[in-house]
Amino acid sequence: MALRAIRSLWLAGSIILLTGCSGGHKRSPPDAQVIKLWVGPNEAEESFWKVAVAQWNASGQGLPVSFTTIPTSGNSEETVLSALVAQTEPDVSTNIFSGFAMQLANLKQLEPLSSMPGYVDLVERRHMTKLMLNWQMNGNVYAIPLYSNPALIWWRADVLAKYANHQIPRTYEDVYQLSERYAAAEHHYGFRVFAGRSWEDRWFDFIAFYYAASNGRAYIENGKATYDNAAGLKVAVFMDRMYKQGWTAADFDAGDPLVSGMTAGAVHGPWDLGTFQRLYPGTMKNIVIGPIIADMGPEAHRATFADSKGIVIFRSSKVKQEAFAFISWVLGNEQLNLLWLQKTGMMPARDDLLRNPVFTDFFDTHPEARVYATYVDVATPPALNENTIDIQKVMTQELVGPLVYRTKAPQAALDDAAAQTDKILRIHQ
Amino acid sequence: MRESIGRISEVQIGALLALSYLLFSAVFWAYPFIWLTILSFSDWRFFGAPSFSGLHNLLVVLRDPDFWGGLWNVIRFFSIYFPIAFAGSLGFAFGLKHIGHGKAFIALCFLLANISSGVAFSLVFTKLFSSTGPINNFVFSCFGFRIPWMSDPTLAMLAIALVVAWKFIGYYGLIIYSGLQTIPRDLYDAALLDNTPPFKRLLRITLPMINAQLIMVMVFTILVSFGIFTEPYLITGGGPLGRTNTPLMVIYETAFRRLQPGHAAMMSVIVATASYVLIRIARKLMERDVKLA
Repeated sequence: MALRAIRSLWLAGSIILLTGCSGGHKRSPPDAQVIKLWVGPNEAEESFWKVAVAQWNASGQGLPVSFTTIPTSGNSEETVLSALVAQTEPDVSTNIFSGFAMQLANLKQLEPLSSMPGYVDLVERRHMTKLMLNWQMNGNVYAIPLYSNPALIWWRADVLAKYANHQIPRTYEDVYQLSERYAAAEHHYGFRVFAGRSWEDRWFDFIAFYYAASNGRAYIENGKATYDNAAGLKVAVFMDRMYKQGWTAADFDAGDPLVSGMTAGAVHGPWDLGTFQRLYPGTMKNIVIGPIIADMGPEAHRATFADSKGIVIFRSSKVKQEAFAFISWVLGNEQLNLLWLQKTGMMPARDDLLRNPVFTDFFDTHPEARVYATYVDVATPPALNENTIDIQKVMTQELVGPLVYRTKAPQAALDDAAAQTDKILRIHQ
Repeated sequence: MRESIGRISEVQIGALLALSYLLFSAVFWAYPFIWLTILSFSDWRFFGAPSFSGLHNLLVVLRDPDFWGGLWNVIRFFSIYFPIAFAGSLGFAFGLKHIGHGKAFIALCFLLANISSGVAFSLVFTKLFSSTGPINNFVFSCFGFRIPWMSDPTLAMLAIALVVAWKFIGYYGLIIYSGLQTIPRDLYDAALLDNTPPFKRLLRITLPMINAQLIMVMVFTILVSFGIFTEPYLITGGGPLGRTNTPLMVIYETAFRRLQPGHAAMMSVIVATASYVLIRIARKLMERDVKLA
């Protein structure tokens, strides 16, 4: 009896295993009656798309849209890639950063959106002509930015009141003075210079500082590193001095340093506004937001890094035109742009946020968000390059890391990083 | 004599059960490994059919400083991790042998570390070792300086080795403990009659008699050294300056972030070969066929 049970179990297991492995590469029959959409895997974005998709489907303007969040527990890129390989990708996906869009475009997986009828009209209607200059790849646009979040610096108002006469630091010298006083009085740090050890973190330290110092000049141009210049050196010298004097720490992994008061300032994006209001309302009341520091006049409208994700249509889609009609309708709809702002707190990628009356009430009641909106027009996305990871890993290992751990002088670190980047880009060409 | 129960014999039952494992291995080990080997000599970027590219992937990998840095870091990690894990698990096993009551509870406590989520405890240790974390705040308040756990290349590797050792000491210790249990008491009695000192008993009786378990632990430490990913990925992110980057981290990034699965496959084959060779060498040097006369 027991043996019969074992035999049956074995047979059943084998059949399940074999049937489970078969046909893995076959695409399920295309459902041309629905536009399949993947959206960013977070509650705020999901709640926006729920409303937007319901409105579109109710309007009867085109094919109905069916959406889900990107089915990932980790990062979206891997999930999108896995779906493309398994041929289970949707028609449209949001949450695509420019470097990944470039990789997918080079692998011929994306539809050029700039050749779609209505593209020019959409760009004009959404006031994003200038913003789109940073999204052009070899004369085409494969991803349209949904949002563009400037990186700005949050300061503890109580620390500024005690050690900086309530003035928000805007120059390197301001930060030095604040750090010196704060460190001497309370053994704390003036400013979080190093955003983290991962390659992505360079967007929130060196690249943001470099954009501010260079008025938004690209750090990679024509397949070469361009940050080994006067602006790059100013940033490197600033970082070097902060570590040399002990005014900042190599990591703040123990907890958010603004909450603990371990530092007086740190770079943050607008997505943190909601998080802080929910988790640390006491700290949030005590935060003032300022521009990225740079060695220029206090009133200068200085550039910064833009954390920006785009929306793409996959080349395999059978409903490309219909999908673009939907994208065009969502992005071009001012009320939906307002809804996006309300639900996510992230800045729609349009440069009329402070001029357009549709957004006036929101910014009047959300002064911190208004500060972010002020910088959308000068917020610059990452260099459009397929080798983003390698470029920023070199930046970490040859430039920022040696300054943090004080193993190289600023100019030497810049020279080495630029040379190594050029070498890698040459290999990949 | 072949016993038969019902219509099938015991031999058939054995074959049937073994076949399940063989089938499992064929699907989840052999097939991926064959595919990996093919891929390592192919030009393929996830889409379309792979095309044979000869030694191109090998040449690219040979010029990749990240990968070789990762392999060097394996040696650095092993040289710190092995003594800690080995001494710790020996200590645990000897301690467990001499405990009168509560053995199961103590063993369970150590094993809990082994079954804990790597992600969860990595996050806890990240906060503990942070330059602004509780350990450093305490040190700073007492002595006026902070220990650069994450910013000094050697200390960062030591921090990771301590975390991984904490996870595996209980597991390795139980393996060694099982060996200690099998040593006949008579051997020690005879040694005592000869007035053999304790250290000599350890060297001449205990360690040789648990050679098989020690080799097993050593093989496991080599495999762990080549296979660590979660702890350095989450605790140090490969830093400082790439000094805790591991081959698996480079392979993961190459395959899924640089979108170069062919290069990553070649790296995997090199790592698999290196770990296999190292294990063979270690066994050749250390393994003894211990038999009681």
